[in-house]
Amino acid sequence: MLERSRKINPGAAVPLRADRRRQRRFPRLPDGNMASDRSDSAAPLLAGCALWKQGAEARIYRGKFLGRAAVVKHRFPKRYRHPQLDEKLTRRRTVQEARAALRCRKAGISVPVVYFVDYTTHCIFMEDLVGSITVRDHIVTTQQSGDNPESLGGLADEMGRILAKMHDEDVIHGDLTTSNMLLRNGSEGPGADLVLIDFGLSYTSALPEDKGVDMYVLEKAFLSTHPNTESLFQQLLNSYTAASKKAPAVIKKLDEVRLRGRKRSMVG
Amino acid sequence: MHVTHELELFPEYSVTQMLFTDVKNAAALRKSAMEGQINGALINPAMLVDPFQALVAANKAVHLQKAGKMKTRSLLSEIIFNLSPTNNISEAFRRFGMSDGDGAVHVVTVHPREDMSDVDTILARVEGRQVPVGEISTFTDVPGIKKLYKVTPSEEKCGSLLEAVVCRMAVKDVV
Repeated sequence: MLERSRKINPGAAVPLRADRRRQRRFPRLPDGNMASDRSDSAAPLLAGCALWKQGAEARIYRGKFLGRAAVVKHRFPKRYRHPQLDEKLTRRRTVQEARAALRCRKAGISVPVVYFVDYTTHCIFMEDLVGSITVRDHIVTTQQSGDNPESLGGLADEMGRILAKMHDEDVIHGDLTTSNMLLRNGSEGPGADLVLIDFGLSYTSALPEDKGVDMYVLEKAFLSTHPNTESLFQQLLNSYTAASKKAPAVIKKLDEVRLRGRKRSMVG
Repeated sequence: MHVTHELELFPEYSVTQMLFTDVKNAAALRKSAMEGQINGALINPAMLVDPFQALVAANKAVHLQKAGKMKTRSLLSEIIFNLSPTNNISEAFRRFGMSDGDGAVHVVTVHPREDMSDVDTILARVEGRQVPVGEISTFTDVPGIKKLYKVTPSEEKCGSLLEAVVCRMAVKDVV
């Protein structure tokens, strides 16, 4: 399993030292204030939408935006966090997501079009890629059906190319998995049209270290969701290396990260 | 010939768009809009790729008005401001608002759902020929828009010009 310390564990019984420190910085408010129902503030905006998926961070709704098929990503308030901290984190992630989407689009990487962002309720309205499937599902079905697993090679090449392009723009995705990549409707063939989604944990950095960790996260996720795909992932890395001049430094860092894990320092 | 859209997020409002060409009283129109006699944002149609672009701007303007976070003084000026990729208000008016000498104008008005009186006022005031809103693309200044929004050739490969423009409008306040 991936350790995801950034998605804070709500169930920790014993308060960690960091939690106690946080409580001092954001003193606990009287209960009445905590209970103010902030989750309902987005309700009118989501009236015509149907809940589609739910994660730890946000709920995804499907609906219409000004006549177009749209998905709404609503980052709901987390009651287990202090309200002020929650507001800060949620706002930052909403902003990062919108910003990274535009940055990628400018570089020619397909991402869903952002139609409208509501920074008061933390909703992002974006294009619904109707009929698209996740790369994860595509790999799983191709592996199960057993017919020409070589067809996945082209997909791995494309993934490597796109990630190299993204890293050349100094965008670090922060949560690369095969579930966060979509294949546009009807593009399962060799000319795969890959769309990257979920930039909530993204940030910009030019450091090979950060890019190496990004690829390491993908490697862990890739190999744990898709067994026996070591050669496929190697093909992805080869294509990544071929596509970017900065790649060798990243691959070197990736080797370092593999030895020590995602966290750089052993403190905290 | 005008097109009315309902705002799904704000069902009590509708947005009506009208496109006019051979407009003779541009200066007078602009004056009466600034004095609040007509309830419509007067937009330079050369800067619009699609009616959807104006709709996105209107939707955002209504949202910001409700949230009390408008950057400009009125809903109509906010619509024009939202079209711009920058946060410079006077530049937005200069580029996206109608100028006194213009022969064509795209009017966007936000009104309560059933109340079409604003639309009638505008239709009566504009001295020009009304054309279907769908013909907006014949007025579009594509090179000018690409330059103003800084749309790169690599971006055009992964989406339409309209998508590029809408993305910038939506994200401009945090870039």
